[in-house]
Amino acid sequence: MSKMRSANRAALALALVLAASGLAGCGQVDVHSPQVRGTGYFRMEDVIKHHPLYAQVAQLTDAIDTIGLVASAPQAPKTAAEIAEATAELNRSLRDAQNRTNAIIAQDQQEYAAKERAAMAAALRAAGQTQAANALAGQVGSTSTQQAAQIAAQANQNFMQYQQSVIAQNNQASASISQQLQIEADRQLRARAEQYQQSETDLSFQLSQQNASERLALKTKLSNLALDDAGRAQLESQLNALQQKQNDAELALHNRNEAALAQYRAQLRAQTGAAIAARVGDVQAQTRSQLESRRNEVGAQLRDLGPSQVEPSVSPAVRQQMQQIHQRFAAAFQTDAQKAVSDYQAVKADLDRQYAALHGADVGATGAAAQQLASLERRRDVLTKQMQTQIVAEANRIAKQQGFQVVFINVNTAVGGYDMTDELTKDIEGLHQ
Amino acid sequence: MKIRIIQTVLVAATLSFVLAPAAIAADLTDVGFIDQAAVGTLPVFVAANRQLAGIKSQLDQQYNAALRGAHNDADRQRIALQFQQEFSDKQREIVGPIFSRAQLAIASVAAQKSLSIVVDKRIVVYGGQDVTSDVVAALRGTQAISPPTATPPPASIGFVDQSVLDSLPKVQQANDEMSKFQQDQRRIDAAKMAAAKTDADRQAVLADYNKALADQRDVLLKPLVDQTQKATAQVAKAKNLILVIDRGDVIYGGTDITKDVQDAFGK
Repeated sequence: MSKMRSANRAALALALVLAASGLAGCGQVDVHSPQVRGTGYFRMEDVIKHHPLYAQVAQLTDAIDTIGLVASAPQAPKTAAEIAEATAELNRSLRDAQNRTNAIIAQDQQEYAAKERAAMAAALRAAGQTQAANALAGQVGSTSTQQAAQIAAQANQNFMQYQQSVIAQNNQASASISQQLQIEADRQLRARAEQYQQSETDLSFQLSQQNASERLALKTKLSNLALDDAGRAQLESQLNALQQKQNDAELALHNRNEAALAQYRAQLRAQTGAAIAARVGDVQAQTRSQLESRRNEVGAQLRDLGPSQVEPSVSPAVRQQMQQIHQRFAAAFQTDAQKAVSDYQAVKADLDRQYAALHGADVGATGAAAQQLASLERRRDVLTKQMQTQIVAEANRIAKQQGFQVVFINVNTAVGGYDMTDELTKDIEGLHQ
Repeated sequence: MKIRIIQTVLVAATLSFVLAPAAIAADLTDVGFIDQAAVGTLPVFVAANRQLAGIKSQLDQQYNAALRGAHNDADRQRIALQFQQEFSDKQREIVGPIFSRAQLAIASVAAQKSLSIVVDKRIVVYGGQDVTSDVVAALRGTQAISPPTATPPPASIGFVDQSVLDSLPKVQQANDEMSKFQQDQRRIDAAKMAAAKTDADRQAVLADYNKALADQRDVLLKPLVDQTQKATAQVAKAKNLILVIDRGDVIYGGTDITKDVQDAFGK
């Protein structure tokens, strides 16, 4: 009798379970109720925050925001306007130097003319034209020794000023080159560090996916209330071992990456030091060459281009000889003057190139920041996509298991349907514990 | 006795299967979705986009040439408006008929499948009916697409046009204030960031900046967001809707409650 009552009760219980399952489709959610109507939804932005890899996304976001904030600082990057201003300043300095040279040319023209007249006088004397030679010598005597000394002093002073300005500009260029090379080295190091970090993230993600089904199976078994202590301990031990294995693999990769990064840092330091020494050496050599060239130029310059006055009584042959002397000196002066101008243009071009290089390096630095930003954003997108894919896969599993018809994300407002956010969050957390 | 047990089980089982279909019938099965990216790769759309790109490049050149003749800002603004208008006209002329045909194709497929709403694929993560291939097939055909004879059935999914709600004066004012605050705060923290020497300093500046924005958002925007949500929920409930999504995710059908939310929000 008692057995029969018990069988009755079991049948009734089974019947109720069957009825309930037919009505609800699931023990936890009444999926087909008028309020839910087979419709689920979840807030992806909330669930994703509980994904174990979200911390890395948050780090990437912080890094991206930091770059954005640094970039908006007024004095942080050199703007194109600032670089243009610096270039204009350099051009002003060069124009000043050019003016100084022109002044030297103008003052030295008299000395040049004196030499020409002396040569002509010598030629006239040789041709027996003593009167004409004396007339020319009188013109020569109009340039006093004091004036010549003043011109030489002015030329030296101008050269010293030029020397100081060129050295200052080249020192600035050397400092900037050094700074830019350091920035580039830092960028390369950061890029390598990010690459290693990405490999660690990938491994972490890959391992968590590899172990997900095994972990889920163990957790499902563990959720069985009827499990005895020994069985529970064994399952927990298996779960811990699984986690430990994953941790070990991640740690091993991390350690390898740390060692490789340290080695790369040392290598970069050596390379950067050598590159700075070479580039700065180039700049210094260029400076020495510029100064040497200018010194020679100033020393060799300049003469009066105006043709000396020769008396009409001089024979045509001697007059032609005078003309040849003048042409020779004029040609020599023009060559010197042209060389002086060309040298100045070359100096200007060199310094402009240095500034352009600085500009380029700065653009490169800004470009490097932009590249870094793009790289960080790409990594964040990839990681976010991976997490979203995993979340959607879990949502699909739950939806299928519980009999939903449709599941949405990006819902504005819900007055019905079933909010899967919490359940999905626990599920995602559980997959990685 | 054994027979009685079996009978009980059978009755219960039958009961469950008899009752269940009635409940299942109320489930939402009339939701369709489209992969818009796939539709966008159809030759007709690609050709239209290429044509538009060519026109834009041509107009850009004309615009730059016209700008050179501008004497002041008013001239420049007038020229800019003129070229924008010209491009919009061309856009309408080229893409308009294709969009109309696409709309017809979607409406026709939705009618055939008795769908009350067709949404963008991105917001459906499970279930629903993928009608992309049907729409693509209809668009690939050369025949004219007949418009559906009936309007879509009433949908249990509603939508709001957020841009309309954003253009309400109090929302607009709050958004403007928030933008200004953000600009000011950015200036302040950018200067701090430039002076920061270590990574820890920079992190602290960033944290301060984010917190300042979040606090201000709570003051300026959150009350409005809450009010909008409340108004939307009230309207949705009154109209027996289950969910409300954004207008941008709806391709066809659905119940537009923007006006009702706007009215409720304005009260």
